[in-house]
Amino acid sequence: MKSLVDTGALFPALVVGRLLLALTNASDVLKHNHQLSTPLTSYLNLQEGIYLFKNGIDPYSGGVFRQSPLFLALFTTVLPTSRIACSLIWTISDAIGAWALVQLWRARQRVAQTSRDGLIAAAYLLNPYLFLPTLALSTSTFENTLALLSLLFAARGHASPSLLAAAILLQLSLSSVVLLAPLVLLLASSPVSQLASPRAFSGNVKIIIPLLVEFLVYTSVLTLVSALVSGGWAWIPQTWGAILTLPDLTPNVGLWWYFFTEMFDHFRPFFLMVFSIHLLIYIAPVCIKFQYDYLYAAFILLGVLGTFKSYPTMADPGLFLSMIALFPEIYPYLRYPIVTTLLHLHAALLMPLFHHLWLNQGTGNANFFYASTLVFACANGAALTDCVWAGLRIAIGPPQEGFSVVQE
Amino acid sequence: MPRKPRLVWLLCLPLLAASHSIPSETFEEELHVRALPDGKVASRFSFSVLLEGTSPRNPQNLSAEDESQHYTLFPLTLGQILREYAVTELHLTLNAGNWNYGRWGYPDEVDVGSGAELWAWMGEGGTATVDERWRGLRNALAGLFCASLGSLDELRTTSPALFAPSGGLPDWGMHNPHEIRHASLPSEHVCTENLTPFLKLLPCKSLSGIATLLNPHRLFDADWHGMGLHVSWLPEAGVQARLTFQSVTDPLRSSDKRDWSFASIFDRKIERRCPSATASHVVVSLPDNGAYSIQPPPPSIDRASNAAVFDLKKEPVEFDAPLDISMQWPNDEGFEYNLVPQTPLSVRRLLHGSSQDRGSLAVSISNSGNESVSVAYLETLPWIVQVYLHSMTFSINGVPRDDILRNFTYVPPIPHARAMELTLNLEIPARSTVLLKMDVTKAFLRYTEHPPDAQRGWDLPPAVLVPHGGKRMYTPTLLLDLATPDFSMPYNVIIFSCSLVAFIFGSVFNLLTRKFVVVKVESK
Repeated sequence: MKSLVDTGALFPALVVGRLLLALTNASDVLKHNHQLSTPLTSYLNLQEGIYLFKNGIDPYSGGVFRQSPLFLALFTTVLPTSRIACSLIWTISDAIGAWALVQLWRARQRVAQTSRDGLIAAAYLLNPYLFLPTLALSTSTFENTLALLSLLFAARGHASPSLLAAAILLQLSLSSVVLLAPLVLLLASSPVSQLASPRAFSGNVKIIIPLLVEFLVYTSVLTLVSALVSGGWAWIPQTWGAILTLPDLTPNVGLWWYFFTEMFDHFRPFFLMVFSIHLLIYIAPVCIKFQYDYLYAAFILLGVLGTFKSYPTMADPGLFLSMIALFPEIYPYLRYPIVTTLLHLHAALLMPLFHHLWLNQGTGNANFFYASTLVFACANGAALTDCVWAGLRIAIGPPQEGFSVVQE
Repeated sequence: MPRKPRLVWLLCLPLLAASHSIPSETFEEELHVRALPDGKVASRFSFSVLLEGTSPRNPQNLSAEDESQHYTLFPLTLGQILREYAVTELHLTLNAGNWNYGRWGYPDEVDVGSGAELWAWMGEGGTATVDERWRGLRNALAGLFCASLGSLDELRTTSPALFAPSGGLPDWGMHNPHEIRHASLPSEHVCTENLTPFLKLLPCKSLSGIATLLNPHRLFDADWHGMGLHVSWLPEAGVQARLTFQSVTDPLRSSDKRDWSFASIFDRKIERRCPSATASHVVVSLPDNGAYSIQPPPPSIDRASNAAVFDLKKEPVEFDAPLDISMQWPNDEGFEYNLVPQTPLSVRRLLHGSSQDRGSLAVSISNSGNESVSVAYLETLPWIVQVYLHSMTFSINGVPRDDILRNFTYVPPIPHARAMELTLNLEIPARSTVLLKMDVTKAFLRYTEHPPDAQRGWDLPPAVLVPHGGKRMYTPTLLLDLATPDFSMPYNVIIFSCSLVAFIFGSVFNLLTRKFVVVKVESK
């Protein structure tokens, strides 16, 4: 193992392993799983949308297909739709994500190669929260890859590719708009770790407005392309609108579905608004507090998305957990990593079990699965708050005998 | 004295005008009884009232005052509904049980889908849209027939073009085409409370004529029963309202012989004729072979259809004795079942899968004839079950076939808003059974959308199979098992989720906003 890591052969070995895994029939079993794909990312719905599109029926005239028209454009022209080909495409997307994560690490450390590269690739490619959704052919895999690519380009200072990747990501998932602020600010500053030495924002403020304009241009162009592909604007309420109004209450690992299943009808619009705005509230404080390290701010906001977005899959918190590998400097300051790990273990075991008991076995009811998603949210929340704590605590320096660091 | 005759004429004018505006009406009733191959007895009552020379209301005149309605035989309550919502053609059926095509053949009245089914053709235009009038029509008929037709809401309404009008559609111009609205409610239970308002619409109620035989105690005890209301416009004649009642009773239930009589299947006899009826017939289909006897001896026999016809109008003014037609097979020792399929086509539909979140729909269509048949298969499902068309496969004896499906039309469902409508045009080869399979996914509903008995499941409306140029066939209904949330704890869920969100939000903001300080820990 040691020699594998040293020679840099670990990354290709992992990719080959993942490709072999993709060739098994696992996706036939996993593609129905509610924890690995939501109605907005499901492979079955994607196939249905492509089928309707090819047969001249507007897929957005009904409520089954809720993915971006960009997928329709790609899968009806360039990309193949057979199961094996799709498995390979999805795995390659994951490999690109892992490569981006490694490059992100190198950009942060400002070195060409480190001994941790293999470990970081493994943290992405072997994370079950990430590779199971990929095996289930959930399109959240592409969202993660695009998020990492836009962060990587931003860290390298390539503004246009970064903003383009973010604009495509926005097409796939409206919630990702949360990442825009740290991304633009990262382009205006540097990705190098500044957590231990906080200081005021030192980047170039003047380029922010042109960057935002550029992002708007990309988004408008992509929106127009989507409208051209789908032949109208019906896709907007079906894709972006669904993220805000939650028309499909299929269970997932998030907090929204059961809340709005049980919600009183006259309070529904109010709480939909509260839950959507709640996601936006974190942007400003996190960006102000971590103004010396916007990569870390983006990482924290990805954690917020993974916990609170409307249609999350396992892959959303999975990206946050894998990204922890980028920040080894905070490890000594984590307060309760074991508790977080155990919570995740608990939730990851209970969720599939209770889901099966409720829907297949009939021996449990909806509360069982709801309770396990609450535990999962606790686990994500614990990881999030611990990372916020550690990212701030590191500035005070290592703990010393007889002294304790607290908040006022 | 030349003025007097003129005055008399003037006095007569309003009378003449009135006699012009009141259409003449005819009421005809008919009972058709036939023995079925499996020993059961099918009876079909048909009461039709014709408003001669009238035409349906043009929806463009909806805002104007309608002409006054004076009816003597036509039911006023029904007439008011038809005029109020400008309905051109209307079909309402309330059925209970599954019509067994294999054993009973085609029914006399084709609309035999289980539960309530309502479809109407209405013209576009005027102040109210077709959908608004459709909503009004549903609620009005719900009140008229004491049926829960109000539940036939937008979630169940579709517009299948397969339901062609049986009468004519007036031409009101290109911009005002006719549209169909169709909805069915398979969970509707049909019983006495629906029959009583039905009888009230008849000129003679159930007091005289063949309607005397409509005895609720026996009708609702039948193996299959269904009532219907069919309003259509016959361009040469006028607006016709036809009320029908079909039932299938089983004489073999109480004895081992298939003999029947009015007294045995209805527990009533016809004691007097309905004076309003211009025609009143009882038609009994006669067996093609075998020894049988029919009492009283039929006054006339229709050779073409091999049926005995009793014309109640030609009977003596007062019946000597109540009319009790009966039929016996004196040589029968006991009835022998003859279970040869009665229709060349048969269709079965099943929902597979034990999971509450997905399953697969399997439809098998058999053609026992010697020629291939082109059929249209119509599936109208509420949005709570969504089909995956990309998983649709056709096979014959397990061999996949791609030449079965000619083309299809599909209106996808919209969650919480619109039902799905799928029409498949198929070619069924001779002497073969085609198996159609597709995956379905079951929706998760808001807790307020579940019915009070949520664990029972949802009845799915019957699918309809229409052979090219043939009669509609209905499949049995399906029961869909949906996952339910816990109905007892909306407050708990709101409190738990909100607490967790508030806790994480609070923790993060605490960390972000409060100052870090180093304190000296007193060591003891």
